[in-house]
Amino acid sequence: MDLSLNRQSKKSEKKHFSAGIIGSGPAGLTAAIYLGRSKIDTVVFEKIAPGGYIINVEKIENYPGFVEGISGQELGKLYVQHAKRFGAEIIDEEITKLELDKTPFITESSNESYTADSLIIACGSSSRKIGVPGEEEFIHKGISFCAACDAPFFEGENVVVVGAGNSGVQEALYISKFAKHITIVEFLDHPTCEPILLDRINKNDKIELLTSHTVVGFKGDKFLESVEIKDVSGGEIKPIKAKGSFIYAGEVPNSDLVKDKLELDKNGYILTDKHLKTSVKGVFAAGNVRDTTFRQVATAIGDGAVAAHEAYKYLEENK
Amino acid sequence: MLILFEKIGGKVGLISEQDKEYLKTEFSKNIKRKVQLLYFTDQEKESDYTVQTKELLEELVSLNDNLSLVIKNCDDEKSMKSENLTLCPSIKVKSERNGFMNFYGIPAGHEFTSFIEAINDMGGDNLPLSEDIIEDLKQIDKPIDIKVFITHGCPHCPGAVRNAHTFSLVNDNIKSSMVDANYFDKVSRENQVSSVPHIVINDKVNFTGNMPPRIFLDKIKEALK
Repeated sequence: MDLSLNRQSKKSEKKHFSAGIIGSGPAGLTAAIYLGRSKIDTVVFEKIAPGGYIINVEKIENYPGFVEGISGQELGKLYVQHAKRFGAEIIDEEITKLELDKTPFITESSNESYTADSLIIACGSSSRKIGVPGEEEFIHKGISFCAACDAPFFEGENVVVVGAGNSGVQEALYISKFAKHITIVEFLDHPTCEPILLDRINKNDKIELLTSHTVVGFKGDKFLESVEIKDVSGGEIKPIKAKGSFIYAGEVPNSDLVKDKLELDKNGYILTDKHLKTSVKGVFAAGNVRDTTFRQVATAIGDGAVAAHEAYKYLEENK
Repeated sequence: MLILFEKIGGKVGLISEQDKEYLKTEFSKNIKRKVQLLYFTDQEKESDYTVQTKELLEELVSLNDNLSLVIKNCDDEKSMKSENLTLCPSIKVKSERNGFMNFYGIPAGHEFTSFIEAINDMGGDNLPLSEDIIEDLKQIDKPIDIKVFITHGCPHCPGAVRNAHTFSLVNDNIKSSMVDANYFDKVSRENQVSSVPHIVINDKVNFTGNMPPRIFLDKIKEALK
């Protein structure tokens, strides 16, 4: 039996903090560790569960120090314990509004309002929709973005996974515990996952990799029945019978909260300089939500450390 | 998040000593009245699932003197009916506080969190809802039955269960149950569940996702029309 107990505090007595961190993924919790060690009173706001996106990942194998890999849930747990050890407060409230016009900055959830002298935005990213006919209609009716949540519903069924990057391939391996057959559809002529993952899908009889094909639609009656694909070089649309489809075709930043308050790039990622400063003084960004070239747990950790260091310097300079 | 991955003899997962200490502290801080865990099970058809549930509940109630466990058979139809329960196994968290917090199936995986929260809420005075939501909930004058279908691997589900359960604290007309979608697969199919959290209100309105309390409340109002 697996038991996951979320230990964060429910309500905070404090309403003002020197540093506020929005997002409790690897970047946010690393920043909390560093700020805590600098004796900065720090709060971390988390929306779903501490750990961020990684709690959906069954096993992380490329994070140094864990030779045999570690589950995303377990790693998230360690980050929380580590951040709390150095005094960070974790509040399970979704921040729905920010006011960055003056300091202290104001952060509001549906229940409470808090202020902070500096902020680190570490909201992460979400799976990107592919924008084809039928996608919206069949989300939650066969289409899912969370294999950990929904893979068991497709026991003995055919499933299509969209995208052969690390996420798509890793999740296909997880889904293969339940599904009868999985087709991974990738529009490039090669998968972009790590070679070690490619080896694994090649050895998995349930998984078929279809490159140079793109998903052009989802069809069904009340629920998904087939995924329509097409060769990128042309040709006819072909249906793949499938009751489930999991989409891992890139990410979108969770930057809605700051879209009119911070400078973003054309894809919505928060623009930062090399110090991870944003367009507002005293506000920093870290992890998948900012404009960076490679989004991994390891890179998010580095971002968290840099952002915390810079936030600390900012707080010292503006005492 | 604290996660326990203990498999003892491949059979039962028990609470680690570290977590027991944490829960003891939390319970002693939050629980101010007697809380009963009423577990309905089919004792003649025991499975790993029901045995593990019983062992988990026994461990939990040993952590605080205000907690108690009552085990009943699901064939005790009179008791099931008086508790407004329709599926077996089920765990109802009860106290003198108003509220209907029920779990159809084992509250394991991520749902262990919502189970602990239900115990703390039933034993304490906490009400994590804003004043305007509370006022709106008080206005509901017809029965509302909420089922929140979950899977144990779903990190989004405990939030939906918690919302539904805390709504029941405000108004006696609201009854809320978590439903393990995999264990109760027939019920899941009947309710067309293919993604979680999947919420069904009065068998009339359904939606998927952990929505903020205000949107959840709007769905309840929709079910009342």
